Amino acid sequence: MKTSMASNIVERVQYPLDSSSYKIIDEIGAGNSAVVYKAICIPINSIPVAIKSIDLDRSRPDLDDVRREAKTLSLLSHPNILKAHCSFTVDRRLWVVMPFMAGGSLQSIISHSFQNGLTEQSIAVILKDTLNALSYLHGQGHLHRDIKSGNILVDSNGLVKLADFGVSASIYESNNSVGACSSYSSSSSNSSSSLMFTDFAGTPYWMAPEVIHSHNGYSFKADIWSFGITALELAHGRPPLSHLPPSKSMMLNITKRFRFSDFDKYIYKGHSGGSNKFSKAFKDMVASCLNQDPAKRPSAEKLLKHSFFKNCKGPEFLVKNVLNGLPSVEKRYKEIKVTMGADSNGNDDDGDDDENSVVNVKQRRISGWNFNEDGLKLEPVFPKDPCREDHDVVKQVRFEEENAIQVEEDVASSGTVIDANLNASDEVDIDDVSGVVKNREATLATLSVLKGSLEQELGQVKFLMSLIGGNGEENHVAESEEKTVKEISKLRMELETERKKNLQLELQLENIKLHLISSTANSPTS
Amino acid sequence: MKGLFKPKPRTPIDIVRQTRDLLIFFDRSTETRDSKRDEKQMVELCKNIRELKSILYGSSDSEPVSEACAQLTQEFFKEDTLRLLIKCIPKLNLEARKDATQVVANLQRQPVQSKLIASDYLEKNMDLMDVLIAGYENTDMALHYGAMLRECIRHQIVAKYVLNSPHMKKFFDYIQLPNFDIAADAAATFKELMTRHKSTVAEFLSKNYEWFFADYNSKLLESSNYITRRLAVKLLGDMLLDRSNSGVMTRYVSSRENLRILMNLLRESSKSIQIEAFHVFKLFAANQNKPPDIISIFVANKSKMLRLLDEFKIDKEDAQFEADKAQVMEEIAALEA
Repeated sequence: MKTSMASNIVERVQYPLDSSSYKIIDEIGAGNSAVVYKAICIPINSIPVAIKSIDLDRSRPDLDDVRREAKTLSLLSHPNILKAHCSFTVDRRLWVVMPFMAGGSLQSIISHSFQNGLTEQSIAVILKDTLNALSYLHGQGHLHRDIKSGNILVDSNGLVKLADFGVSASIYESNNSVGACSSYSSSSSNSSSSLMFTDFAGTPYWMAPEVIHSHNGYSFKADIWSFGITALELAHGRPPLSHLPPSKSMMLNITKRFRFSDFDKYIYKGHSGGSNKFSKAFKDMVASCLNQDPAKRPSAEKLLKHSFFKNCKGPEFLVKNVLNGLPSVEKRYKEIKVTMGADSNGNDDDGDDDENSVVNVKQRRISGWNFNEDGLKLEPVFPKDPCREDHDVVKQVRFEEENAIQVEEDVASSGTVIDANLNASDEVDIDDVSGVVKNREATLATLSVLKGSLEQELGQVKFLMSLIGGNGEENHVAESEEKTVKEISKLRMELETERKKNLQLELQLENIKLHLISSTANSPTS
Repeated sequence: MKGLFKPKPRTPIDIVRQTRDLLIFFDRSTETRDSKRDEKQMVELCKNIRELKSILYGSSDSEPVSEACAQLTQEFFKEDTLRLLIKCIPKLNLEARKDATQVVANLQRQPVQSKLIASDYLEKNMDLMDVLIAGYENTDMALHYGAMLRECIRHQIVAKYVLNSPHMKKFFDYIQLPNFDIAADAAATFKELMTRHKSTVAEFLSKNYEWFFADYNSKLLESSNYITRRLAVKLLGDMLLDRSNSGVMTRYVSSRENLRILMNLLRESSKSIQIEAFHVFKLFAANQNKPPDIISIFVANKSKMLRLLDEFKIDKEDAQFEADKAQVMEEIAALEA
């Protein structure tokens, strides 16, 4: 009934690779460094397309991320994944041409017409398709790393597609700067699978060692957590905790026990609804995704078999019950622009605003929710943050964010966020020792990376010195040597400071340990 | 009772052999004849390739076994399987192509009795590199062949072959292909070629200095394509600042024409390009044996350069950059005709 699969690939339509073949109709989304347009492709019967135009000159220090995203998009092929028709550069911008999704993102749909959430039947359709996409993606060795309603799009036929691979990662993508050789072939002692996330060369500064050594299931399960949060977002119209003030104690309380039944008590406090309107199957499904232990969260494939998705309706159900009567994406975007101001978070088709700057992130899209800072507190996902798998660490960094930003600017020259980690662990309570231990490891890793880079710099300085000195006249040598010596001693001092900080941390940790031991030793007897 | 009828599990060697047989079958069949039988065989082939992949990478519930990996690798390179696989990739579906790419990538790093036998195989089959490189001219194959190529040039001997092949010149065009994903892939391969194996690169650059930098300047640094200029100036800095290329660097910074190009890049409106250009420009100024024509350019443009540098700020504070800048300005200010 079908010709061979290979010919399917060859027969795909080739979209033109020049901007003059497209006519921009309307802006439908914007982020920090990207704008999304609705456009038509003139040579192909004026078919509507979405064009994501990414400013390549802004903030991206390395174009490798962009390359990876483009590659991911061109090599993925699944009905529930929004793929790119093509991509090409237009001066300083990269145009990614994608199918136009007339319904826009679910975040935009919810905030426009379903502020108290969608019905369970609609949610089931959306989540099932999202899971299909996730299951395919994970099978391909990819992590999405940014699952949220803002990245789930619907077309006019009610077909759901997962979008935005700006921060996705692949476990197969090898990184040249790391001797990844062994991590593929030789088995490491403490992991049960070799499908490790070895993509570690880019920005390893704040990556926790347990993330690097985590096995496959662990890293993929971060997407499952986000999927669970997305389910809540669809059910309530907004992500959990969005009404809470940033409060550490609350934070810790909730993250310890994060069950569906708690949501009405804590998470959606003050808002009507109540969990009664949701079925047991739904609650059970969400609860399984939000298990604190990643190993206990089901895989995407397993989730698909959950009873919640039995008798799931088809796309036409969404057309009738969700899309019907909805204003166009363009219109909704304009409304948001008017109410929230041009540069706030109206990125319904999601501009690619996951930049490196924490300051930007904080104001624009801290996490997956496009909400204000209250909303981020629970969200375990930091755009760009490679260690999002580890919720403990991430969370602690998170609520110290305010400080972290401050300090980070001071150490900007060394290009690390080491102080975010340091700060976070400074603030940790005794009752969260495990977090400290992890944080300590992270800090140690960060420090050793920093040390490495300082040493490298030192080497470079020495090299330049010998180079200039080798050809130069006597007094020039003396002069530049003096400078270099100063430079070196400066670097040494920096290194020393970091070492001291590390030592303090270690001492602190010892203290906490002692405390813990004495308290546990006391408790059984008393 | 089920166990009774379970087929005996195939060994890695069995799977490689069966894959090879199927590849030979498809290699011989000229055009896809679309018969039912072909389709069945194709399904079987794709299944085998996937199995090879899961042996090499492990799966969600099993770690790869180094013994099995070694057996697989040995059997794979015992005969011409790699050539067959590369030739047949266009006949596979997308998923199988990706699997095959990952298999080939992984095999490059598989030690057999602590030897990388992939390197030995490729040494005798260097023409396969020609096939892979030409892949950049085929939209459907480019990303698969490109990924394989990048893995193969991890072997120094292979990188050396590619560097000294006539294909090297083609990279200047591949980097600027209109398809961004393909162009970016070619750029990644080019960068790998020019930075990975230090001694080979240094030898290549000193032998091919003339044409290489003539092309590099005119086709890349002066390209009309923003992304090409940006990648090229960054890579130039990486190459010249590498210790092993110090001879090439000295030669590069003694050329008036090169200085002119870098000065133009320094004046670009793109911050990213400016910053990268500065890291190369500073080498011209730091050179203590400046030829007279370089000095005369510096002297003639002294006030303009100093003004430009003075106003040149980067967004985040960078002590290293500031120190470099101060030194460069000092150098320039001190120059007399």
